[in-house]
Amino acid sequence: MSKARNGPGTGGKPRRDVLASLKMASMEEISRASLPAEIMSSILDHLSPVDLIRAARASKLLREMAYDDSRWVQRLKRIGCWDEVEARKNAEEKFGTIANRASIELQESGAAQQALGQPAIEVTAVSDGFDKINLSASATNDVEDLETDPVLGALKLSKSIRGEARQEYGKIHAALAPFYDDIATLGPSSENLLFQNYTEPKQQAQLLFELQAFAKCDTTEGCEKRHEHLRTAVSMFETAALKEFRHGYETEDIDGRMKTYAHVLYTLNGGSSASELFIQHNHIVTKKSELGKPSDCIDGLAQKVKLHQTQVFFTRVSVAFNEEVSIINRAFPPALQTAEPFIEKVGRDVLSPFLTAIFDELHRSNKESYLVSVSSTFAQCMNLCDNLLPIQNSLDTFDELLHRTIAQLYEPHVDLYLAEELDFFRTGSEASVGEWDRQLSEQAASTESFLLSNINRQADKRDFLTSFKKVIMAPVNILPSFSAKPSEQQKSDHDSSVGEAGSTSRTNRFSTISSPGTPPIQEAPTTELAAKAAIMKSKMEGIRSLFSIEVALGLVHAAKSSLERAAQFLVIGGETGAAVKQQCEAIFVALLRILGHGHLIKGFNKAVDHLSDYRPREQADRDQSGVEPLVTFLELVNVGDLILQMIDVFYEQEMIGSNLTDRNDFLDPAVKEKKKFEQNLDERVAAGLNKGIDVLMEEVDYILATRQLATDFNPGVSTDPHRKTMDVSVTEAAAAVVDVVSSHTQMLVGSTDKSTLDVFNQEVGLRLFTALCKHLKRQRISIEGSLKLISDMNHYFKFIQRLKNNELLIYFKAFRELSQIYLIDSSDAKELATLIADASRFSGIWRVEEVYEFAERRADWFQIKPDVERAMYGVGCSVM
Amino acid sequence: MAEKTLIMESNDGKKIEVPIDVASRSILIKNMIDDLPEGAFEEAIPISNVSENVLTKVIEWCTHHRSDPPSSGDDDDTRRKTTDIDEWDQKFMQVDQEMLFEIILAANYLDIKPLLDIGCKTVANMIKGKSPEEIRKTFNIQNDFTPEEEDQIRRENEWAEDR
Repeated sequence: MSKARNGPGTGGKPRRDVLASLKMASMEEISRASLPAEIMSSILDHLSPVDLIRAARASKLLREMAYDDSRWVQRLKRIGCWDEVEARKNAEEKFGTIANRASIELQESGAAQQALGQPAIEVTAVSDGFDKINLSASATNDVEDLETDPVLGALKLSKSIRGEARQEYGKIHAALAPFYDDIATLGPSSENLLFQNYTEPKQQAQLLFELQAFAKCDTTEGCEKRHEHLRTAVSMFETAALKEFRHGYETEDIDGRMKTYAHVLYTLNGGSSASELFIQHNHIVTKKSELGKPSDCIDGLAQKVKLHQTQVFFTRVSVAFNEEVSIINRAFPPALQTAEPFIEKVGRDVLSPFLTAIFDELHRSNKESYLVSVSSTFAQCMNLCDNLLPIQNSLDTFDELLHRTIAQLYEPHVDLYLAEELDFFRTGSEASVGEWDRQLSEQAASTESFLLSNINRQADKRDFLTSFKKVIMAPVNILPSFSAKPSEQQKSDHDSSVGEAGSTSRTNRFSTISSPGTPPIQEAPTTELAAKAAIMKSKMEGIRSLFSIEVALGLVHAAKSSLERAAQFLVIGGETGAAVKQQCEAIFVALLRILGHGHLIKGFNKAVDHLSDYRPREQADRDQSGVEPLVTFLELVNVGDLILQMIDVFYEQEMIGSNLTDRNDFLDPAVKEKKKFEQNLDERVAAGLNKGIDVLMEEVDYILATRQLATDFNPGVSTDPHRKTMDVSVTEAAAAVVDVVSSHTQMLVGSTDKSTLDVFNQEVGLRLFTALCKHLKRQRISIEGSLKLISDMNHYFKFIQRLKNNELLIYFKAFRELSQIYLIDSSDAKELATLIADASRFSGIWRVEEVYEFAERRADWFQIKPDVERAMYGVGCSVM
Repeated sequence: MAEKTLIMESNDGKKIEVPIDVASRSILIKNMIDDLPEGAFEEAIPISNVSENVLTKVIEWCTHHRSDPPSSGDDDDTRRKTTDIDEWDQKFMQVDQEMLFEIILAANYLDIKPLLDIGCKTVANMIKGKSPEEIRKTFNIQNDFTPEEEDQIRRENEWAEDR
């Protein structure tokens, strides 16, 4: 079947080919009892060195194979004393610089002789067992001799030279094999040659270490058993040494026994067992109960964490730790990495249970002090790091190590902590806003308002904001005063570093305080701010029913402390760091929601409602200076702006400054929320202003309607005998209107952005204009009264001029022109007619008909009307 | 037809039917099987260098080790680590020297690494502790050294002398 599928071409032929080639393949006839060279070579692979040399003596071919350098390099590599780099260097020296072949050979033979010479002594020495040389060697052997003694330093003395691997191996073999074979054949005991020839534990350790390496190249049959023997010997020795080591630690014989055996164990197998023992049985761990109890650190009544108690604990830890570190430094060889496991151990067994106990207890009883304790102990931990002595050579990594340990310590708590922090902040702020709302509704009936005097709001706000900024930038006092010293120091450190970099999250917080001449006072700005807030508050009595700056400040403060507490954990970095960032943003978002939407926007809504409910005509008692709800609203706009700036400062300082968020990341929830808040606020302001204009105009209308006496512009009808004939002063109504309007527009200056203000002003101006037009058309104006009108118009014009809006100015200029038509004597009808018809005079604001309408308001209109009409439309016009 | 088989033919013309998975212990055969289409083995495969009794012996070994995991290539160290020959293989290798060499050669030719290793180890064990003269005898080697040369080797490697 498959054949059919494959087709005849592919099925038949190749098969035949393959078989044919197999058939043709033939090996040379070989003698029956000899093997090809590559097989011989692989047989030699399985020989021990001694057998290999013997085999080398059988024939030249075998010698060549057995002498093959790579075979011996392999062995040296396995022992671990072949350095490829060194070998290459040697080879380059030999073949790169010396071209003369003879000299190479000379050198080689010299080296070979040298190689031959040395082991020879050793072999004889060893073979005799208790030879003089050996005895003297062991007697005089000192620490320095470890390097130079041919046996003890066998591995270190060996060189990596290509072509001489066999000789090098020979040296090592000569030095170590007797001891190795002794242990391997007789089994481990204290009677081993090794222990008899060398009495110093250090030498024994060194030798055992070398034997372990040497054993690695023993791969011939039965090696497992030999290795096992060696291992037992080593572990026997190790146990004994460890015992001594521990004894040394317990009797505090640090520089003597402990040090010796630490080094012994280090030479033996890296000393991990020693450091492990040291760590396991460390005083700091075994006596940790003396360092402090978690229960001491919790105030049972107030359910508060006693921070000075925890500080005491940390100080004790640092003292104990430093003690142990000094032991480590003295006893352990520097290459032994004791630092990391030790620190981890301390973290795990001493700090962690302590902190966990505190946190658990507080979490059960009191949320706020839980939050405080988590972050403050974290700060204390970080302080602790600075007080610890570095361990030996780990200087560079030591800080990092400590931080990592602390990070590990806090990692399990951070998640819960952050969640609690956010929750705490949210509930806290919501409660405070809710409380305020409740209080408000209770006294809603007795809302009273003081109208604002003409205070300089701009200056006030700026003043307030500066002190606010100061407070924001002052670090939250996480640690109580006893730890102020280190933190102060730290701060000054930071201060100095701010100038250059100011990049780390911690430094930034101090940045403004550190400006020259401003000493870092922590308390002052707070109180200063409180005072300012009080002043602001008194000034803002008017909007008390809508918004409370105190509540806002409280919220911002709570958010700030929450954020700073949480931001502490940023140092941890990594995943936790990301979580911290996220949580901080969440706190910020919560702040915006509660403060912005819950508090400010609500106030705005209320104010807008008030505005739209406002009916000036229904208002019974009238005050001179303004429309109350509008004033309130405008004040609110001011406050809104203030809050916005506050949030902005807060955002800059806390979020950007602490690297919590990225300003340019428009997808960032904090940024998004902030934008949203700003938008919302703007919307509210716009809506409110819209309503405000309506209200303002109604007020203007009302004033015009009620205050403008009929006699103002037409004194002729007055019955007052004392009236002055030529009164050029401004009428009461006009003054009032300008007052009202200007006082309100003034209020907005500086609180909303320029464009909004312009639009607002323009709208106000236009509406004022129409209102005045309407008003004018209701009046009767005599020539005598026209003077008053002109001065009124000038008054308006001056007011509009202050708004700095050219378009508006045109309208009011036209008004001024218009008022002149009342001044023209009735005899000059013709003149009047040209004036009316001259549309350009009014910049095209009114059509002729409209001007005509205005002219109709002249008191003597009916007398002059025919004349005017005649002048305008020609003779014989219609007769009314 | 329980399992697929192929026929191997020794150099003295004997045909032996071998299950494919057994034959696949030989890398040579295995590669051939992989290269050829199915059903191409109706004809006997000539193993021209191996006589019947050796081939039988090799197949015996392959059958015993048919389910061994494939050797992890030429990882030198792992092969060396298992220096000890397991009991069955030791017994298997208890043959006269001629046969042992034949097996090694066959294993080499058929590319059966584990078997070759065992063979080499066995030979190495034979050499162990033998004097150069005995080694020469074992491998049928002529002593092509002058006495001086031989002495020189001894001097060069005194560390390896018996104690």
